[in-house]
Amino acid sequence: MSYYFTILSPTDVPLFNIAFGTSKSGGDGIARFRFPDTAQYMNQFIIHSSLDMVEEAQWMNGNMYLKHIDTYPPASAYISAFLTPSGARFLLLHQPPHAAGPNANAGGGGGGGGIGGSSSILGGSFAAGSSAARASASSIAANPTSPQTEEAVRQFMAEVYENYVKTVMNPFYRQGMEIRSAVFRSRVTAAGRKWL
Amino acid sequence: MTSPGDAAPVKPPPSFSPGVPRGASKTRYPNQRRDSSPSLDADLAESRVASPTPPLSATTSELPIRSASPRTPSFRSSTPQLARSSLGSPVDGRFEGSEEIRSLIIRSFSPVVGVYASADTDELVRQKGFAGGFWQLIRPFGETIPGKLVIRDSVGASRSWEDYGVRFVDLGNNNQSPPESSGGRSSPLAHAEEVLEKQLGSLDDPLGGSLYPKDFLGLPSTSPLYKLYLRQLLSIASATPHETFRHPVACVIAISSRNTAPLETLRRLYADTNNGDKRVPDWIHPEYLRYYVLVHDEDRDDITDSTKLYDQMKRHFGLHCHLLRLRSNQCVVTDDDSVQVPECEWLSPSERLYGRTEPLVDLDTGGLPHVFESDVMAIKAFVRELVAQSVVPYMENRVAVWNDQVASRRRGISGRFMSMSRRWAGFGSGSRSSLTSGGASGNYDTAHGYYKSDAPEAVLRKMADFAFMLRDWKLSASTYELLRSDYANDKAWKYHAGAYEMSAVSMLLSPSSMGTKVKIDAIDQMLETASYSYLTRCSDAPNTLRCLTLAMELLKSRGGSAVESAAKWAMRVMDQGLAGSIGQGLFSERISACYAARNAVPGMKWGSRRRKAGMWSVFAADLWLRLGKPSLASAALEEAERLYADVLQGDGAFSMPEMQTFIDNLRHAVKVEYLEARGLDTRDETATAAALGTEETSEQLDRRKNRKSLVVNPLDSGLSPTQGMRDNDNAADDDFERA
Repeated sequence: MSYYFTILSPTDVPLFNIAFGTSKSGGDGIARFRFPDTAQYMNQFIIHSSLDMVEEAQWMNGNMYLKHIDTYPPASAYISAFLTPSGARFLLLHQPPHAAGPNANAGGGGGGGGIGGSSSILGGSFAAGSSAARASASSIAANPTSPQTEEAVRQFMAEVYENYVKTVMNPFYRQGMEIRSAVFRSRVTAAGRKWL
Repeated sequence: MTSPGDAAPVKPPPSFSPGVPRGASKTRYPNQRRDSSPSLDADLAESRVASPTPPLSATTSELPIRSASPRTPSFRSSTPQLARSSLGSPVDGRFEGSEEIRSLIIRSFSPVVGVYASADTDELVRQKGFAGGFWQLIRPFGETIPGKLVIRDSVGASRSWEDYGVRFVDLGNNNQSPPESSGGRSSPLAHAEEVLEKQLGSLDDPLGGSLYPKDFLGLPSTSPLYKLYLRQLLSIASATPHETFRHPVACVIAISSRNTAPLETLRRLYADTNNGDKRVPDWIHPEYLRYYVLVHDEDRDDITDSTKLYDQMKRHFGLHCHLLRLRSNQCVVTDDDSVQVPECEWLSPSERLYGRTEPLVDLDTGGLPHVFESDVMAIKAFVRELVAQSVVPYMENRVAVWNDQVASRRRGISGRFMSMSRRWAGFGSGSRSSLTSGGASGNYDTAHGYYKSDAPEAVLRKMADFAFMLRDWKLSASTYELLRSDYANDKAWKYHAGAYEMSAVSMLLSPSSMGTKVKIDAIDQMLETASYSYLTRCSDAPNTLRCLTLAMELLKSRGGSAVESAAKWAMRVMDQGLAGSIGQGLFSERISACYAARNAVPGMKWGSRRRKAGMWSVFAADLWLRLGKPSLASAALEEAERLYADVLQGDGAFSMPEMQTFIDNLRHAVKVEYLEARGLDTRDETATAAALGTEETSEQLDRRKNRKSLVVNPLDSGLSPTQGMRDNDNAADDDFERA
C-alpha cells in the first residue's frame, strides 16, 4: 500500500505533503504508486478532484473523520478525508499494491521515512518494481475499504490532527502558511509507520 | 453557485476563432459545415436528421413519457448555471444533448425489415443510378418515418413517437453470418476506430481542419465525433442468435411492372424466403411478415395494367401490399425536381470504410445520387404505410400473442413452480417431455450455441425484443428478467449477458423507474453481470463495449447520483482497454461530461463535480495530444478551463504545484503542436512571439472580466500570496488557444 497525505487550507492551498509506503507486514515504508515516474502529478489531480466529494460529505456528516469518501478506479486510489474545525482538510490517498507487478526491483533504502526535505514533495520515492506485493492479504494494505483500514486511517488522522494543532499553535506560524516544521514531518511519518 | 460573484457572467475561455462567440458558432454550424467540409458526413447526417424532426424539447409536452418524468422540469429550473448569460447556450445544448443521445440509442434499436426484390425490380432501380438495387434506394428512407407513429403498448395505452424508424437490410446479406463466425473478434471495433481515424484525418489536415475546429467539436457532450462513434458502436451488430434485434421482423418482397409473370414471381420469391436460399437459419424465427410491393415504372409502363395487377395482388395476399410508383429514368442534379437522397445514418463501420466512394470533385452532391421529388414522396408514403399499417401492428400483435401464450404461463404461480421444478428435475411436470437433468431445459443447443427459434426461451427473448423495439420498456424489462435465470441454468452465457444487458437498458429507459438509489444499485449489479458474461465468458469485446456505453449514456441522462455510476462504467471501459486509442480520448471526454452533468445542490456551492470533470478533460487533452490531434486537445483543454473556472478562484491557477506544472506543460505542448500543424515554424522565434503577442492583448480584456467578478464578490477572493504570484506567471500562457 502506498500513501499520499496532504493537508489543504480552506482555499485549497496545499500546506503539507508527504508520500510514504506501508510499514506493516514487511513493507519498507517507501511509496510505490502505480503511476510511472513521469506521472507524479496524478496524485495531486486525484486529491484535487476528490475535493468535490469532501465538500459534499462535510455537510452530510457530523464527524471530523469523513472516512473513505472517494475512489479513482483506473488507478484504484482511495481517498479518506478528515476535517479540522478551522476548515483545513486532511486527505489521504491510499493505493493498494499492484497485484501482478513486474519483476521485483526492491527500492534500495530500507527504513521508513525515506522522505527527505520538503523540497521534493514525493521524495522521488516511486520505484519501478513493486516489492510491496508481498503484503499479505490479511493486512490492511490488501483491502482499502475494510473496517480495519477505516479504523487505522482514523487513528492516523487523529494523531496527525493532534500534531497539526500543536504546530499551528506555534506563534511563528501564520494561518495559511505552508507547514515546514521538520518535527511535524517526522511525527507524521511516525504516525504513518505506526498505523498504516 | 448563487453568490453574486458567480451570477456575474463568467467569461468562458476564448475559442479558436476569435470574434465568434461559442453560442453563435454552435447554432450556425449545420449550414456552415455543408460548404466548409463536405466529407464530414457525421455533421451532414446530423443536420439532415435534425431538420425533419423538430427539436425534442418542443415535442416533450406531447410525449407522455417525458412529461411524466419529474426530473425534466426540476432539472431545468433548479440549475443555477442556466441563468448564466454567457454560457447559456452551451449549457442548454448539453441538456438537449442528453435527450438527443437517448433518442439516438432508442432509434438504434429499430425493427429490421428485409428487402428481397426480383431481378427486374433491381434492374429498374439500377437504371436510376443505384447500383445496390431496390434495397439501396429505399434504405435511407426507412430510418425516419415521416410524421408521428402511434404505438400501443401491452396495457393498451397509446403513445406517439416522432422519431420512429426501421432498418432495411438486404435479406441475402443479413443471414449470412453464422453464429460462430467473425474470426477476428475485435475487427468491428478496429473498423470503427479506423472510421474515426479517417474522419479525424480529413479534419486535422492543416488546410481544411483549422478553419472551424471549434465548430467541429462543439461541446464535448454533443461532439459529433462522439456521436459518430456511438452510432458506429450501435450499428456493429449483425444478426446473432443471442438477440433478435437484427432478425427480420418483416420482409418486403418487390416485383416491378416489367415482370411478365408477376404472380408466379411473387410466389417464387416467397418460397425462397421460406425454404429457398434466402431461408433464415435455425435460430431466426421463420414466421415474419411478408409485404408485397409492386414497383410501377411511371416512364415506360401503363398504369392501368399495374393497377389491375395490384388489385389481383390484394386479392391474393390481403392487406400487406403496396403499389409504388417510381420513374425509371435517371435523375441528374440539374433536373427541376431533383432531390438528393438522404444519407444513411446507420451504416456499420465496415460499410462506412469500404462501401462508399469519397466524392472527388463534385463537392456539392457529397457523392449521393439524386432522385425525382415524386419518387421521394412515393417512397416516403410507402415506408410510412409499411411501418404504420403493417409492421407495427404486426409486432403489437405478436407481442400480445406471445405474452398471452408463453410469458403469462411463466409469470403466474404455476409458471414459477414449473421453472422451479425444472431446476430440480425429476418431479418436473409432465407437460414438458424434453426435460433433462441438471436444471438445463434441454432447449439449448450447446454444440452450436443457440436456442432453436421455437423454444420458449427464444420466443420470450423475441417477444422482449419486440416490446423493446416498440418502446414498451416496462414489458421488455419484466420479460428479460424472466429470462435471465433460464439462460443461467442452461449456461447460455451470451444469451445470459444479453438478457442482463437489455434488462438494465430497459429499466433505464422506462420512464416509471426513476433513479432511486436502490434502483441504480440493482442496475449496476445487472451491468456487472452482463459485462462479465460478455467479456470473460464469451470474450465478446464489441458487445461489452456496447453494453457499457449504453449503460453510461443512459445513466448519464438520468442525472443526479446516477451520473457517478455512469462515470464509473466509462472508466471501466477505459480500464479494460475496450476502446481503441481514439475511443480512449472520447471516453475521457465523456467521463468529463458525465461529471459536468452533475449540478450543485440548489443554493449551495457544493454537490457538483466540477473538479472531476475538469480533471478528465485535462486527461482527454493529454490523450489527444499523444495521438497528435492538437486541435482536439486544445478544445478539451479549453473545456477543462471552463469547468475549472468555478473551482479555481478567479485567477485560474492551481494551488498544487505539480498540477500547475503539468497543465502548463500541456498547454505549451498543445500550442506548439497546433502551430506546427498549421505550418508555423515554431522554432522561428518571431512568428511564435507574434502569435503570442496577439494573445496578450486580448488576455488583458479577459483578465479584466475576471477582476470584475472578483470585485463583485470580495469574499471569494481570499487568495494566498502564492496564487497572486502565479497569476502573473500565467498571464502569457492563459489564452494560448487564440493562436
